[in-house]
Amino acid sequence: MELKTVGKSITKFDAFEKVTGEAVYIADVEFPNVLHIKVVRSSVAHGRIKTVFTEDAYKTEGVRGIITGEKIDFLAGICIYDQPPLAKDRVRYIGEPVAAVVADTIAAAEKAARLVRVDYEELPHVEDPVDAAGEKAPLIHEELGSYFHLPGFNPEPGTNIFHHYHLEKGDTEKGFKNSDVIIERTYTFPHIAHAQIEPHGAIAKWSKGKELHIYSSTQGPFIVRGALSRMFNIPNNLVRVTVPYLGGGFGGKSDLTIEPLTAYAAKFFPGRWLRLILTREEMFFGSLIGRGTHSHIKMGFTRNGKLVAADVKVHLAGGAYGDYSINIVTGTGHNATGPYEIENVNIDSFGVYTNTPLVGACRGYGHPEAHWMTERTMDIAARELKTDPVKLRLKNILKPGSENNLGQIIRKSNGDLEGAIRRAVKEIQLDKREEPDNPRFAAGKSIAALMKSPVMSTNAGSSVIIRANRDGTFHLLASHVDMGQGSVTALSQIAAETLGVPVEKIHHNRGVDTEFTPYEWQTVASSTTWKAGSAVKKAAISVLERFKAIASEVFKTTPDKLTASNERIWYGRNSISFADLAEGYVFPDGHAIAGPVIGTGSIVPQGLTYPDRKTGRGELAAEWTFGCQAAEIELDKKTGRIRVKKFVTVLDAGKIINPVMARGQVEGAVVQGIGAALNETLIYSDKGRVRNSNLTDYKIPTPEDTPDEIVTVFLETPQPGGPFGARPLAEHGIVSVAPAIANALRDATGMDFYDLPLNQDRILKALYGKGEEK
Amino acid sequence: MSIPLHIRINENSYNLQVEEDETLISLLRDRLHLTGVKEGCGNGECGACAVIADGQPVRSCIILAAEMEGKSITTIEGLTETDENGNVSLSPIQKSFIEEGAVQCGFCTPGFIIAAEALFMRNSDPGDEAVKEALSGHLCRCTGYKSIFKAIDKTVKNRYKT
Ligand code: FES
Ligand code: FES
Repeated sequence: MELKTVGKSITKFDAFEKVTGEAVYIADVEFPNVLHIKVVRSSVAHGRIKTVFTEDAYKTEGVRGIITGEKIDFLAGICIYDQPPLAKDRVRYIGEPVAAVVADTIAAAEKAARLVRVDYEELPHVEDPVDAAGEKAPLIHEELGSYFHLPGFNPEPGTNIFHHYHLEKGDTEKGFKNSDVIIERTYTFPHIAHAQIEPHGAIAKWSKGKELHIYSSTQGPFIVRGALSRMFNIPNNLVRVTVPYLGGGFGGKSDLTIEPLTAYAAKFFPGRWLRLILTREEMFFGSLIGRGTHSHIKMGFTRNGKLVAADVKVHLAGGAYGDYSINIVTGTGHNATGPYEIENVNIDSFGVYTNTPLVGACRGYGHPEAHWMTERTMDIAARELKTDPVKLRLKNILKPGSENNLGQIIRKSNGDLEGAIRRAVKEIQLDKREEPDNPRFAAGKSIAALMKSPVMSTNAGSSVIIRANRDGTFHLLASHVDMGQGSVTALSQIAAETLGVPVEKIHHNRGVDTEFTPYEWQTVASSTTWKAGSAVKKAAISVLERFKAIASEVFKTTPDKLTASNERIWYGRNSISFADLAEGYVFPDGHAIAGPVIGTGSIVPQGLTYPDRKTGRGELAAEWTFGCQAAEIELDKKTGRIRVKKFVTVLDAGKIINPVMARGQVEGAVVQGIGAALNETLIYSDKGRVRNSNLTDYKIPTPEDTPDEIVTVFLETPQPGGPFGARPLAEHGIVSVAPAIANALRDATGMDFYDLPLNQDRILKALYGKGEEK
Repeated sequence: MSIPLHIRINENSYNLQVEEDETLISLLRDRLHLTGVKEGCGNGECGACAVIADGQPVRSCIILAAEMEGKSITTIEGLTETDENGNVSLSPIQKSFIEEGAVQCGFCTPGFIIAAEALFMRNSDPGDEAVKEALSGHLCRCTGYKSIFKAIDKTVKNRYKT
C-alpha cells in the first residue's frame, strides 16, 4: 500500500505559533490575583536545620507568608518515596528548598527571601558516588529502610545505596579464565545540566480545600497528577494538570520537579494562584541534573577476538534524593556492555545518594553512560588484539538469533546493526586519511556503535481519542507533551494515514490538560511515536469501524461488506462520506441513527516484567534500536581545542514517519552530545556548591560549535507492531557521541581518555603536563 | 522614581512612565504582555529576549526601558503582516524557519528570528561569516543549529532571486 502522509516531511503543526510568538509557555500564563514564590535554599550540603528565622523577612512589604517544611508529614516520589517538598529538619544538598516566601510581587518575594536566615548544624558531606557507597561515608538517609518503593527496586538500608541492580548471565569466572586478553578500565561521566532554554515553572491553585489545579512545564502531566493526588490524599479526578507549550525537556522536566513544592505552598492560600518560575541559576540545582557515573569495566576476549566475558560496576551519583535517577541505575545496567553478545556477564549498577542536586532522566539516560565505557574499551581491545576495531565490533555484535544480557533473543526486525556500522564507516570514509598541512593540528576519525531501549515502567500505557466532526475533519486528543520533537505532527500523520484523509483534516490538541485529554504515562524514552502512535492507529481504526457500522444500517448490509477510501464508506458503487457519518446518519425523512462518532485506542507495552530477583534478567526492554556513530575531528594542539568537522549517525529506526523532524531530533541530540563530550560539567566547590550555575560558565554548544557537516542516515527495517513499522527514535543521536569523539582523539593523538569532558584544560594537561594516559 | 518614556513598539506609539530600574523585557512582557519575547536567562547569555531597537538587535533583559527613549522597537509580534481581511502573512524568515524544521520547542525561536531579521536590515545579502556573527550568543538546545543556518540561507537565497 502506498503511503500518502506517513514518511513525508509535513511541516510542524505548531510551528506557526512558535515563529510568531503566539505560543504560550508557562511563564506567559497570566492569572488575576496571583502570588509569587521565591524559594529559600540550603546553603550547606548536609546538615540539620536548627532554626529558620523569618521575622525580618515577614516585615518586607508585600509578603503574604513564609512556608517551611516543619509540618510536612508525607514524602513525595514515584518509584521510591524519599523526598519532602520542603526540607524537614535535615538538608541534603546545596540548593534544597528550605522555605517558600510568598508575596504580591516577585521583587518582594526575592527581597524577603534574602532576609530569611537559617542556622544549620553541619554534617559531613560526600559528592563522589564511590566514596558515598563506602562504609565510612556519612549516611544521607538513615530512614532508607522505611521508604516505600515499587517492586523491582532494591535499596540497601544502612548504606547510601538506594538501588542496586544486579544482572548476570553465564559464568564470568569461567569466561575470564578462557580469555586471552583482558582489558580493565575506569571511566567517569560528570554531572551535566539539561540547560533547556526555557526555565521550569509551575502555577497552582487550590479550590474548596480539596481540588488542585496546577499548570506546569512538565513532560509527565499524569505522573504529576498521580503523585500530587497521593501526596495530598485527594482523588485523581480532583487534581488537574495543565501543560502549556514546553520549551525543551530532555528528561529534565519529567517525573516530578517543582510541582510538589508549588502545590504545597498553594495549599496555604486557597483560591489564589501561586507562581514559581525558576531563575536560570536555579536551573542548575533547583531542578534535575543529568549523568554522574563512575564505571569500572573488565572485558575478556579470546585471541581471535571473541568477547567472552564482561564484568561491570557502575556507581551513579544520584543526588540527595533517589527517586528520579532510580531508573537510570537499571537502564545503565541493561545497556552496560553495549550492542554485543557476550556469554558471561556480571553487572552491578548502584544508585548512590550524594550531597548534590538531584539526578533525573537526561536525554538517552543509561545509554551514554554505558557506551562511554564500552565503546572506548572496544577500541582499546582492538589495539591489544592487533585487530581492526570495526572488525572486532562486527564479530561480536548482537544479530538475529543472539541472546542479549537480559535473555531476550534478537530478531531480524530489531534492525540492521551490521548495516549501520558498515554505513557509518563508509560515510566517515574511515579508510581515507587526511593529515592537516599545519603541524599545529592533528586529525582523527573513529566510530562507536550503539543500542538503545526505552527504559519504562511495565505498565507505561498510552491512550488517545479521535472525534469525528460534521465537516469531515477530526480532533485527535492525546496527552504526550510536544516539547519540540514534533509528536503532535507525527501522530496526526499516523491518524491521517490510517483514516485515509489529508493530514490537514486532523487537528491535534496543543498542550495537555488532564481534565480533557486521555491518559499517557509520560513523554520520555523516545517512545511517543512508537507507543502513543500505536494507540492513534487503534483509535483511527475504531473510528472507521464505527463509520462502517452506521453505514451498514443505511445500506442494510453487514459492516464486513463495506470498505473505506477517499473519505467515504463504500458498499459496491454506493457510498456515504465520512462527514455524513460523523454525527450519526440522517435519513432523507429526517430520522437519525447512531449519534456522534468517537474512536479510542489504548495500548501498553507488551509483556514487560520486573527483573528476576536473582539474575536481574527478564523481559525488561520493549524494543531495541541499533545504530552507529562516527566522528572526524581536528585537534588544535596549541589550544587543546577539538573541532568536530564531521559527525555521522546511522540508525535503524524502522519506518521514519517524518524525515525532516526525525533528522532534527538526531542533529539536536548529536550537538548536545558534543557539548557533553567537549565542555559540559557541573563544577562543585569543596563545600558542594555548584560553581558554574550560569550559561557563561556552563558552556553549551553555540552556533559556531556545530560541526561543519552532520550526516544522518536512516535504515528502515520495519518494526512489526510499531505504527507503520516505526521504532523508537529521538535520543539515540546522543548515545555514542562521546566515545566516537574520544576514539577519534585517540586516533589523532595516540592518547586515551577516560574522563569527560574532553575540554581544553584536560587535553593540554595530557599533551604537555602529566599525561592522562593510564 | 518614575521616568516618562516615549517609545514606538511594533508601529504603535506609547507614552509611558517607567521605573528607573525597569528592564525592557519587563516592560514588554509584564506590562505590555508581548510574551513572544522570551526570558531564558535574564542575564544576557542566551538571546531569547532579543528585540530590534532602531535597527539594532538588543537583549531586552539587560537593557533598561528608560534607555529606549524615542526609539522604535520591533518584537517577534511585529514581524507578521495582517491585511484588511485579517489574513496574516509571515515574513520570509518566519516561513523559512517553518519549512526547514528550524523550530523545535520554539523557545529560542523568537530570538533567532529577530537576530536574522536585524541582520537583513543591515545587510541584504550576508555571507556565512556575517550570519554566524549575527547568531553568536544565541543559544538553542534543541536543533543543533544546522536547520537554523539552513533557514537563514534559504531566506537570503529567496530574496536574492526575487
Ligand atoms: S533572556 Fe536575555 S539573553 Fe537570555
Ligand atoms: S528550538 Fe528549543 S531551544 Fe531552540
